[in-house]
Parts: sequence; structure tokens; C-alpha cells
Amino acid sequence: MCSDRPKSNDLARLPLFEQAGSRRSFIKSLSIAAAAGSAALTTGCIPSVEAAGSEEFKLRWQEFFKKNYRLMTQEEKDATVRRLERLAKMSDDLDIQMTSHPPLAGVLYGYAFNITRCEGFMECVTACVEENNLDRKTNTQYIRIFEMEPGQLDPSTGDGQYYHEVPVENKFYMGTQCFHCEKAPCTKACPTKATWKEPDGIVVVDYDWCIGCRYCQAACPYYGRRFNWGKPEVPQEEVTRRQHYLGNRIRPKGKMEKCTFCIQRTRRGRLPACVEACPTGARVFGNLLDPDSEIRYVLKHKKVFRMKEELGTQPKFWYFID
Amino acid sequence: MSMITVAGRHTGSPSIHGSMAPIIFMLVLLIICIAAAAGNTSEESFLDEVKAVDRKFDNRSVPLDHYVAEDTVLAKENYQGGPFRVLARKKRIERYKCSSCHGDKPITVNEGKELTHADIELEHGRSDAGLTCIDCHHPEKRDYLEDKKGRKIDFDHSYQLCGQCHFRQKRDWLGGAHGKRVTNWAGDRVVFNCTTCHNPHSPRFEKRFPATYSVPIE
Repeated sequence: MCSDRPKSNDLARLPLFEQAGSRRSFIKSLSIAAAAGSAALTTGCIPSVEAAGSEEFKLRWQEFFKKNYRLMTQEEKDATVRRLERLAKMSDDLDIQMTSHPPLAGVLYGYAFNITRCEGFMECVTACVEENNLDRKTNTQYIRIFEMEPGQLDPSTGDGQYYHEVPVENKFYMGTQCFHCEKAPCTKACPTKATWKEPDGIVVVDYDWCIGCRYCQAACPYYGRRFNWGKPEVPQEEVTRRQHYLGNRIRPKGKMEKCTFCIQRTRRGRLPACVEACPTGARVFGNLLDPDSEIRYVLKHKKVFRMKEELGTQPKFWYFID
Repeated sequence: MSMITVAGRHTGSPSIHGSMAPIIFMLVLLIICIAAAAGNTSEESFLDEVKAVDRKFDNRSVPLDHYVAEDTVLAKENYQGGPFRVLARKKRIERYKCSSCHGDKPITVNEGKELTHADIELEHGRSDAGLTCIDCHHPEKRDYLEDKKGRKIDFDHSYQLCGQCHFRQKRDWLGGAHGKRVTNWAGDRVVFNCTTCHNPHSPRFEKRFPATYSVPIE
């Protein structure tokens, strides 16, 4: 790059578009201009880290040039987590505790939803919104509950916008969210590899690598993903302080987000917020690799089905009946 | 292509060479198709891997941030993974012990309606033949419940009583398909008692408005 630098002096005199020269000379001059441009980029247009004045600028600079989460070492993960904590303090005056806990060995998360028990109280939805710092302005929700006619099993036939006293006789309720497919089509669609399946089965998004193209949203057959049209607005006193890098940290504008099985909780042995909030016990969560777990009991003893199983996405989310 | 030329050279006849080639080609195609189809049908599912796991998972190996804060008691039955705990009941009953009123001594009642349990609405059992107090409560030893075999049952272990009619629910509760765990999926198993969620006098959940509503997606 440095050897190209003298050429930048000639840049003004280059006959880039004036002469109707041959194609070869046009491309040649174009490449010279490109080289000159990149030389300028590396040598001084943007100040280096040391030259940066404010601490915030320095942190944002380092954040901008960090790696994809999967390529980071644990030290780099710790460093970015510390930077994000500091930035939250500086820009929003929030004292958050962010972690980057790795997956637990011998754990594969599974989820079951009892369509006989759910009565449509939607307390799971409010718990999810609070836990995951979801945007209050656009009313973003990861979970949807559908009021279904008996005999129907496709939520698109149900009413997802009911608001009346529940449960209604001769109706049943069916919840959807991200199903954390073992063969997740969304992760294949991502052009920047910003979304992937963790070894414990959770499909996550690196919000800082997401470019917001929404291909994953188009690829998901379950409407499991949500897009941030603006910066999420959460009242300061309602922000969940305990956050995970891949989980409920407040997303920047223009990023994709989704249910993470409350990764900030589940990797510390805790139930997801929706399971903990459910007043009827319709939601079962546990470790599929533990033969004694509740989820394995459900799979073994109950009539279970998965949504759109014929697509071969292999969701780790089962519906069951008593 | 080499196969076709070899076949041609062996027979030495250009006419057979011409007629055999497409047949062999089709056969090869057929074999490839069958092989591909067989490969598709035996597509592996992660569930095969899941089912193959028979080693016990040590739930205590998981680092916990939260512990169950409520009072618990060790259940008198085991689930598939061994002993477990249930949320205690007795400390949540406001006027336990019952024998402090229900004894031999006569007592003065100031707030009669409440203290004689007249505020309890009993809606348990069939509408034409509902349950009465002593169907569950012990007629003499008032600090206990009593099942149909006459066994004394502690309030903390009411699942033993409920399970005599609701045996399917009890089986699922022991296994984990009914009811729910408290706080953690890992660590020692602590589950809700029957009476944590259900009012034993009126066990059906009351109708109410949902906690929120949903807006259409985009």
C-alpha cells in the first residue's frame, strides 16, 4: 500500500472520464485511483486509536473493528463485553452486567408446549418482553399466542390478536416463537454468518455482525424473527440489567432479533422467562440429553408433534396434548 | 464413456455397440438414483443422537445464579431421576395450625363469617355431586388431610390426596408434563405443589383478560 502513495499526487491529473480512451486504459486508471483511495484510508483519513480523543470514540472504534463472535477468543469476548457495559453506562447511564457464558457441556435444550393446558393468559408474552428488553414503542414480541378452532393445528388459521376474557369455551391456545431448528434455514440464508446454532442448540444472532438484510426472516417458515426498525425503546427502570452478548442486550437499530431461549438465564441453569411466568404449567423446558429430564418425559409419554415437520427443519420445540 | 467403448471392443460388433450403450447408461443412472433416494430416506435426525444418550446428566454440575427462595419439603415419592422437592404449603396457610381453633376448648369467634370458613366457595367435583369438607379434610385430626383409605396426609404432601382421583395428572406431575419446576431447569428438582397453582376448593382457573395483546407482525 505504501508504495502506491506517490501515485495519489497524480490523481488529479488522471484522465479518468474525460478521454474516450480504450477500455484497457480506463480500467488501468480506475485501479490506480482505487489504490490511491485505499492508500489514503490506511495513512490518515481516519485517526488511529491512539489519536482518538474521547474514551467513547475509542470504544466505538474498537467495537467497530471487532471480530465475529465465533472467531473471538474468550479474552476478546470479555473485552467486548466490558466495552459494551462501559458504552451503556456512558451513552444511556445504565449499569448493566453483561456476560458471554459459553454453552454447557452435555446440554441440548428442548421445549414443549401443552396445547391442552394453555389458556391464553399471555403472561409469557409480558415476561418475555420485560426479560429481553424488547422495544416497547413498536410492541415487539417474540411469542405469539393464537386462539384456535378445535381440530385446527396450523396457527395461521387461528386468531393471533384476540383480546377478551380467556379461555373461551371450545377454543384452544397455541403459542409460537423461535423453534431453534436443528437444521435452521435462517442460518443458511445469512450472508454475513451473523446467525448460527450454538452447540447447546440455541440459534443466536451476533447483533454486531448482522447487516439487517432480513434474509433470515424470509427464510424462517415459522415467523420466528423480528426486525428492529429503530433503536429499541425501553424505559430505563425496566431494563433487564443481567444481559448476555448473544441474548437480551439492547439491540442496535436495523438488526435482526429473536427468541434465544433466554440464553442469559438458561446457561446459568434458570428457566426461560416465559416458562417461569406461565400460570398454567403449559410450558416445559429442559435438557434433551438428560434421560431423566421433564422434556424427555414429555417426548416419551405424550402425543407430540412439531410444526411443519415435513420441511425437515427439525425444530426443538414440540406441541403436546395431555 | 470408457465403459461403452470397452463393451464395444469386446463384442466387436458396431450394431450391438449402438443398442447396448443406452441400456447400460440407463442402468447406471438407475443405480445412482436408487442410491441417492436411499441416502435421503436414511437422513439422520438429532433425535437419534438424543435417544442414544443413556448416561445420566449431573444437574448439579450446572452453575446456578438463582436458588429457590421458597420453603420446600422433600417429596415422599420419587420421579424418574430420584428424590425431588416440592414447595411447602403449611406456611402459606394463614391460620395453620388448624388445631389452634379446632380443639376441645370452646373459643370465642369475633369475625364469625371468616373464621368459620363461610367465605370458602366450594366448587370441586361434579356439579351434581360436589365434594364436601371432610372428603379431603381429616374429620378429627384437623391439622391433616385424609384420603379415601383413611390415611392421614400432611398439607405439604397434598399430591398424595389429589392423586387418588387425578391420578393421570399426578403421573404427569411426577414425570414433568403437568405442573412446573421452580426457577431452575438444572440443579435439584423443585416443583410446584398442586395447591401452589390450584385453589383446592375451586381448582379450575378463573376466566380473565390476557396480560397483553399482540399487534400484527409488520
